[in-house]
Amino acid sequence: MTDNITTNPSDLANKQKWDRAAATFDFMAGEGAEKRWRPNKRKLFSRMGEGNILFMALGTGLDIECFPPNRSLQAIDISAEMMKYAKPRIAQYSGEIQTKVMDVHNMPFPENHFDQVFTSCTFCSVPRPAEGLKAILKVLKPGGELLMFEHTGSRYFPFNLMLNIMTPLTAKIGPDMNRPTVESVRRAGFEIIEVENIYLDVVKTIRAQKPLD
Amino acid sequence: MPRNWYFTLGDLFSNALCGLLAALSCFYLFDTSWSMFIAMILAMLLGMAVAMLAALLFLMRFFGAMEIMLPTMVTGMVASMIVGMRATMAELSQMDACLYGMISGLAVTGFCWAANEHIQRQPGHD
Repeated sequence: MTDNITTNPSDLANKQKWDRAAATFDFMAGEGAEKRWRPNKRKLFSRMGEGNILFMALGTGLDIECFPPNRSLQAIDISAEMMKYAKPRIAQYSGEIQTKVMDVHNMPFPENHFDQVFTSCTFCSVPRPAEGLKAILKVLKPGGELLMFEHTGSRYFPFNLMLNIMTPLTAKIGPDMNRPTVESVRRAGFEIIEVENIYLDVVKTIRAQKPLD
Repeated sequence: MPRNWYFTLGDLFSNALCGLLAALSCFYLFDTSWSMFIAMILAMLLGMAVAMLAALLFLMRFFGAMEIMLPTMVTGMVASMIVGMRATMAELSQMDACLYGMISGLAVTGFCWAANEHIQRQPGHD
């Protein structure tokens, strides 16, 4: 596992936040939320192919159980502490997962390198989502796919109100709750292929593609 | 509604519990000496805060993240609004406050299930 640590203050604060959350993350999120979302994650990750694959924000590796077997991929996360908890899950996986502690804003991968990039509840926490998505666009091959499992803001009352009220608190200990992630993906230069709502218009999967030219 | 009994019962339990907690908080705070409007505003904020804490600290672990946090916060807002306003109008028994809270929670659960079914039929957007 190699390190590529950011020096940006907001990214450092983000890294420290997730380092602190690592010890209790599985306790908080490893049961109810994962059981609810597992079928949808399995469906999304079943699109994982054979080419160069990047998995963003592997965290404690809860998603590994939903990966199709025998895939080879690279996985990054800004928090080394979170990655420590992922090790046993990586060891149990039938394929190969190479991990790096890395910030999405500062990825040293070559341009046009990956065939697919996967995210799972990632862009609720990336401090500068527009820049992060542009960084992904850069490392994806033309025609490459971005496949996201994310929670976002809502356009419906009263859910939008609740998400806006929650965010100042949840942002201190974990994710933002009211991000317009689909719009951010579009603005970063991706073509949206499909958005599938899983719970309300808040939990969703997003399939997008880097334009061919 | 969830296609799983565990989560169906979890949704009902979580919202009934948050409705109960929000209603009891308002029962102990507000009485007929309060202005109904001020009580309503404060009760809604208090109910949301109580529900959010219950969801974050306890319920989320067992029953899901957004699927629990959003409905329980709506429940907290509705239950406490009803009990807060009602408590300023006339004497309210603790049992009535509890019933208002739990019934609000069950009603909000149904509303959220219906809203979810409706939104699933819409094309995805942000």
